[in-house]
Amino acid sequence: MVAGGGAFAGGHPAVSEAFVTNQTDDTLSIVELATLTVAKTLEIGGKPAGLAMSADGTLAFVTAPEGKELVVIDAATRQIAKRIKVGEGPLGVAAHPTNGRVYVADWYAHRVFVVDPVAGAIVAQITVGNSPSGVAVTPDGRLVLTADRDSNAVSFIDAAANQRIGGVTVGERPFGITIDAAGARAYTANVGSDDVSVIDIASRKVVATVPVGRRPYAVALAAGRAFVTNQFGDSVSVIDLANSKVLKTIDVGDHPEGIEADPAGAFVYVACWFDNVLQRIDAAKLTITGEATVGDGPRAFGLFLR
Amino acid sequence: MVRVLALGLAALILVPAGAFAHGPTRQKVTEAVEINAPPEKVWEVIGNFQDMSWHPAVAKQEGKGGNAVDATRLLTLKSGGTIAEKLIKYDKDKKLYKYEITDVDVKVLPVKNYSSMLSVKGDGGKSTVEWRGAFYRGYMLNDPPPELNDEAARKAVTGVYRGGLDALKEKLETGG
Repeated sequence: MVAGGGAFAGGHPAVSEAFVTNQTDDTLSIVELATLTVAKTLEIGGKPAGLAMSADGTLAFVTAPEGKELVVIDAATRQIAKRIKVGEGPLGVAAHPTNGRVYVADWYAHRVFVVDPVAGAIVAQITVGNSPSGVAVTPDGRLVLTADRDSNAVSFIDAAANQRIGGVTVGERPFGITIDAAGARAYTANVGSDDVSVIDIASRKVVATVPVGRRPYAVALAAGRAFVTNQFGDSVSVIDLANSKVLKTIDVGDHPEGIEADPAGAFVYVACWFDNVLQRIDAAKLTITGEATVGDGPRAFGLFLR
Repeated sequence: MVRVLALGLAALILVPAGAFAHGPTRQKVTEAVEINAPPEKVWEVIGNFQDMSWHPAVAKQEGKGGNAVDATRLLTLKSGGTIAEKLIKYDKDKKLYKYEITDVDVKVLPVKNYSSMLSVKGDGGKSTVEWRGAFYRGYMLNDPPPELNDEAARKAVTGVYRGGLDALKEKLETGG
């Protein structure tokens, strides 16, 4: 998918691991996808929530809202490389495909912090709407989009200028935001109105609104379909993007939250907050084909595969 | 003095509106009880969303919609407070239902954004009833007062579940 390995030169590298933030027990589980087992558990602290991967997959970025930190992890050695103080309540996070910067949405400060993770420095701050949660970068690196939960809107940020250049009203309380591989459309999961807004990025207009289950949290894209976690529904709604209709609702664990598809679109991985599992959905058969037990309270909010 | 007052006002104004919506970390509580009774028998007692009379804290109940999704109920507690709830999911084959609180005063139950699931499992003459809840503490900003912090929320919900489950066990095991 997009802000993860999507823009890696020469095409998509296959993913082999999931980095799962366990908010309740303050840890990160590194899950090997081939065996669906936890290879390493890292102590993060600060109630970790958001996750992003650098474009080359060598660094993982974890937000700790209560610790007010962006935690940088060396993915190969599985060690914490750096802790960077960011804002008042860092939540969503996304990595730029080329410029090395990381965008952190701050729930309390109502802005996006632009972070240089190598220098450990905040290089810019951009005011957006109220309580931005999810953040995503277009594959060409030109735009950063935030789901501004308490403004019922998405902000568009010019990544070169570090300036908000516009916005679009979406459903109520958008939380997760995902951009497709072509950079054409963005999808928000709207917790308040139980639907998904489909945004045409070029025109900055909502082109479809798709009702899903109760309290949708985040969206993954695979094989022409959107997979939406419904926290209260204990399910994943599968939307056919050709006609913007739900074609199946898959029962998953209790309180599904973070969700991401592998770059090939074969499998979708979903973190279930109450049941403490990462479940694997076969994107063609639309059934659960495996699960890994992770730490307590997995959220995995963002792009967590590498 | 003037400066202190001005700073105080500035701090008030800077409190973001969004912080009232949700921000702290969601909490979870799971409580269970084993009962010497068949799951069908247990479900007969607790499987009606419109009948919480098995819980000793509930004085009175009114509601509508039966056991259909979006059914509502208003519980009046013996302590005097009320809790309004809505059914999210009802599965009589799996013997579980899931609901959310749509309105409660934090003085009655110090939680926000509360959802819960009640379920029965087992076979033969033994059952396990599980009650689990997901919620935020009653105070949504940083630095909550002690009666509205994470621990207070977990403690209150644990108390509700324990009180209900222990009374249910006694009712079913001694009352036949």
